[in-house]
Amino acid sequence: MDDRDLELRNHTYRAFVELGRAPDPEEVAARAGSSGDGVIASWSRLHDEHALVLDPTRTRIVMANPFSAIPTPHRVLAAGRWWFANCAWDAFGIPAALDTDGRIETACPDCDDPIALDVVDGTPERADLIFHCLVPAGGWWDDIRFT
Amino acid sequence: MNLFRSEEHVHEWLNGRRPGTSIPVTTLAALASRWWADRLAPDWRPHTREQNQAILDGLGLTGDFWRLP
Repeated sequence: MDDRDLELRNHTYRAFVELGRAPDPEEVAARAGSSGDGVIASWSRLHDEHALVLDPTRTRIVMANPFSAIPTPHRVLAAGRWWFANCAWDAFGIPAALDTDGRIETACPDCDDPIALDVVDGTPERADLIFHCLVPAGGWWDDIRFT
Repeated sequence: MNLFRSEEHVHEWLNGRRPGTSIPVTTLAALASRWWADRLAPDWRPHTREQNQAILDGLGLTGDFWRLP
């Protein structure tokens, strides 16, 4: 990952936030003065460095953490838009990254009861919930989608 | 990495599987804020392992479970 990769990574994240979805390679190329192939090559290096996560074809973004490019059970309202987060941790990361308040909606994996809470100034408005992390930190990137 | 209504719901969900670790949602929020707050910064650089471990340590998330590779 070199400075050009970081520049493309930053273009990618800005495009994600502006579009409200994952950009495709051509959309990032237009912003970065690059080519679609150049963006894909850069994304692949960023994927290898865990700066984002691509699908198995390495041409489409699956995760630009904390944002998810695909629907998940973790929805977040922040900055006037609904987002998908990759997990509960990332759900709190979206308002943090956007530097704003947010509303998180998910469901208890045990009973499927809806869970909703607001986050104001980084603080959850309810403290009764429990976060469970199944995989130890040493293995988070062994299978990031499972983690 | 999920939110549960209570520790009892975690136990039921695990259904005999080996548990990971549970933390209060307030700690999770603090962790997320420190971990992700710079993600859209124009001068973003990847966190080093040491930076990330310091975030975990600073919230009392220590021990083998929270040790980054």
